Amino acid sequence: MLTYILRRLFSIAFILVGVSVIVFLIVNVMPGDVAHFIAGQFASADVIEAIRARLGLDQPLGVRYWHWASAFLSGNLGDSIVMQRPIGPMVTEAFGRSALLAAVSFVFVAVFGILFGVLAALNHNRAVDHITSIFTYLGISVPEFFWGIVLILFFAGYLQILPSGGFVPLSQGFGPWAAHLVLPAATLTFTLIAHISRQTRSSMLEVLTSNYVRNARAKGMPERLVLMRHALKNALLPTVTVLAIDIGWLLGGIVVIESVFSFPGIGRLLLFAIERHDIALIQASVLLITTAYCLSNLAADVVYAYLNPKIRYA
Amino acid sequence: MAPILSTRGLNVGYKTASSHKSALRDVSFDVNAGEALAIVGESGSGKSTIALSILGLAASNARIGAERILFEGEDIAHAGEARRRELRGSRIGTVFQDPFTSLNPALTVGFQVAEPLMQHRRWPREQALARALQLLDEVGIADTARVSQSYPHQLSGGMQQRALIAIAIACEPTLLLLDEPTTALDVTIEARILDLLRDLKRRRGLSIVFITHNLGVVKRFCQQVCVLYAGEIVERGPVAEILAAPRHPYTKGLIASSPRIWGDRHSRLQSIGGKIPDRPEAIAGCVFQDRCPFAEAGCDEPQSLVDDGAGHAVRCWKAARLAGTGWPVAPRQATAAQRAPSAALIEVNGLRKEFSVGSAFAGLAITRGAGGLPRLAPAARRIVAVDGVSLSIAPGEVLGVVGESGSGKSTLGRSMLRLVEPTAGQILLRGEDITRRRQKSLKAVRKELQIILQNPDSSLNPRRTVDDAIGRSITLFEGLRGVQRRARVDALLAQVELPPAYGARYPHQLSGGEKQRVGIARALASSPSLIVCDEAVSALDVSLQAAILNLLLDMRDQLGLAYLFISHDLSVVAYLADRIAVMYAGRFVEVGTKQQVLQPPYHPYTRALLSAVPSLAEGPDAHSSGLPDAGAIPAAKPASAAVDGKLVEVAPGHWIAGGLDTAVPAAAPAVRVDIDAVHASDGSDD
Repeated sequence: MLTYILRRLFSIAFILVGVSVIVFLIVNVMPGDVAHFIAGQFASADVIEAIRARLGLDQPLGVRYWHWASAFLSGNLGDSIVMQRPIGPMVTEAFGRSALLAAVSFVFVAVFGILFGVLAALNHNRAVDHITSIFTYLGISVPEFFWGIVLILFFAGYLQILPSGGFVPLSQGFGPWAAHLVLPAATLTFTLIAHISRQTRSSMLEVLTSNYVRNARAKGMPERLVLMRHALKNALLPTVTVLAIDIGWLLGGIVVIESVFSFPGIGRLLLFAIERHDIALIQASVLLITTAYCLSNLAADVVYAYLNPKIRYA
Repeated sequence: MAPILSTRGLNVGYKTASSHKSALRDVSFDVNAGEALAIVGESGSGKSTIALSILGLAASNARIGAERILFEGEDIAHAGEARRRELRGSRIGTVFQDPFTSLNPALTVGFQVAEPLMQHRRWPREQALARALQLLDEVGIADTARVSQSYPHQLSGGMQQRALIAIAIACEPTLLLLDEPTTALDVTIEARILDLLRDLKRRRGLSIVFITHNLGVVKRFCQQVCVLYAGEIVERGPVAEILAAPRHPYTKGLIASSPRIWGDRHSRLQSIGGKIPDRPEAIAGCVFQDRCPFAEAGCDEPQSLVDDGAGHAVRCWKAARLAGTGWPVAPRQATAAQRAPSAALIEVNGLRKEFSVGSAFAGLAITRGAGGLPRLAPAARRIVAVDGVSLSIAPGEVLGVVGESGSGKSTLGRSMLRLVEPTAGQILLRGEDITRRRQKSLKAVRKELQIILQNPDSSLNPRRTVDDAIGRSITLFEGLRGVQRRARVDALLAQVELPPAYGARYPHQLSGGEKQRVGIARALASSPSLIVCDEAVSALDVSLQAAILNLLLDMRDQLGLAYLFISHDLSVVAYLADRIAVMYAGRFVEVGTKQQVLQPPYHPYTRALLSAVPSLAEGPDAHSSGLPDAGAIPAAKPASAAVDGKLVEVAPGHWIAGGLDTAVPAAAPAVRVDIDAVHASDGSDD
């Protein structure tokens, strides 16, 4: 198992190198560059050239990548060109806030998704099943910004019991901190819950008709143990895989939600950096997201192996 | 003494959205202490529903009504769910059909055996796990500590079934419900599981309900039998009496359609035409009348189960008149004359097929040749599935290949068709070497060589109609389209005795036997000269099996087809084949005509296979010497050479693997083979 994890970590390193090269190339072919942005719309060509020279943007692509990569590997993430601030703390803080939002949403998605899925399976083709189906499909089939706006209008605009956006650190009190998390987390949960509940429902239905569940009942096991010990552990296998995909979505795909709720997370930071061609900031954000994505997939595979004895990584 | 289990007037129906379908009607039987009662019937007869109704585990849409189900004097039909749950697994143990899917894949075997003890006796986990080891030992598992900590997928099918038996007997029940416990297993493993069950029954004084479709198993194992048809018991009584002198026409038909090793192929195997009615409750009178050759006007009257006073009951008003009348023997049509020996249609020389196990990457290892540079080479384990097999089949000949799972017989059949690429050896079709022919130019070969697979459910595309499935072959090989193709499909359907209307159906609208007929029609579409039948009838009920075997023989007589008939069931192979090849661990250990190979069986492995077959008729007296008692598996260790040796021709056309004193067949040594040892040598667990 340990060798397996080490091998996976090794391949993650390769992925990160690949991603950094691709990001570098893409930023380079995007029209315009950061010098235009710093110099402003009406700057003369000379001024822009001077800024480019100062930032080292006139050097060949390979050299620039080398400079960035060697600095990055020695722990120097560099300064944001646009904001003139060190990137390290900026990115980690933004990522921390996003991770918090993602984690809260993830817990909601996992807990309620599995719960709804099991309930729907146990009440197959009855009212509970149909209601959860409709509810979860509503979440997945309408774009998330729509539900975000609906929630803002209702809870912040009409009821005025929750803030419409932004973020407050925990140091300013649990109440305000939690209040700012509720709406974005609820929107994310609503968007993702269908993945989990549908998957859990269908695998649970399959497992409940399996021979080993019949056998567990023939052994005289009470229904509670039949469900929890014999059915659920097997039914969760495919769900774990879907959960891992959702972690990736939560980390990389919350740009829209962060924008709707003005949430100062990594998604908005990345968007900000891309609009301004701030390459060091883009690289740091993207690599952080990629790392988190890869690690969450690795974690999912380890959990999967724990649940499924047929898989034993060597 | 009161019976352990006494069922009276059990009625079960299934409620669906639009209708109510009856599964069991007025089922009554008793199981006496220490006795085994068989419930016999074909698929759809409702026999599994009986077990589930007794357990209280029938599907949620089942409507169960019973006068009473007395278990040890207590009426469990009207007991609450809590009480029935207490009885399940403690007083009533159950073993279901498919061991491969009946153990929970996510829990260790030991825990699953211990679970009933923790549940019913409230034992602490350690105590229950310790007892589990003893139970595993009792069901004949050698390495109990390892097996207990294993997960189900790490065990063979036979071992899994043993573990399931250990679960069933964990709390020392008085009654065992066995629902086709050996149907999914190979014959030799089946024989050993039956031995184990018989042993347990005697040692623990168990009473048993044994649900099966195999009359051979009934004969070996049970004292009483209920014959179930379309949800009704049509005959009930002592096994010996019913097998010797069946009274109900359906029982006669069932017995007639069981293949017999010693039967003569030229007396056609009997089958019961038609199929089990969909809505038996709608039939006035006898439910079997549509398929009954003795049916007449009086059969429209309701039939009741009439006991003769000596415990033998039958539900047929004509039973007394039919006493002594057997199932009608259909004459064999157009038996082909003995063919003159002719050039081989297909010849295989030294065929070998290896598979590598493990992924390409995981198995990479650095190897250093003598004095050379280190290099990266696949270190994957190689498995030899077929190890130097030679054979030849003449036009119109049937070569039966018999062996257990993993003996390589399917790989042999597929290699001959180049569906898998042979590693070494030579395949000659009409003298022409096709071993190295390019895949693209194999079309002519494929036209000549076709295959019928075991599982008709998965070998027909569920989204294609029968027309499509057969027609594609016709277009591919004969280039026919439109009306011509349609006409050819109809002709093929007629040939396999299906009405033309079936062309529009999808596989899920067909029964198992009908699907297999479509499979045969598809194989016939290219007008082949040889068909590989890979366990073509193993998934079918006896009466269907008989019908398909008859069909295969008719096709051979009409079209001059040759077959390579692969099966683990020696009785089926013996019925159909001209010559038999016994395969073990990738090699032929004995080849010859049916008489040469089976009368008497010389090779110890052939003997073991033969003695394992639960057949209705045991062999003529001449072979009883040297053969173990029916059902008992011989116990001596085999000479290892008997499995490894080269084939030696002991009589014209009769080849036996060397290492045996085979020079004088007439004085064949009473070599016995221990299946344990044979299996241990190929690394499997059972």
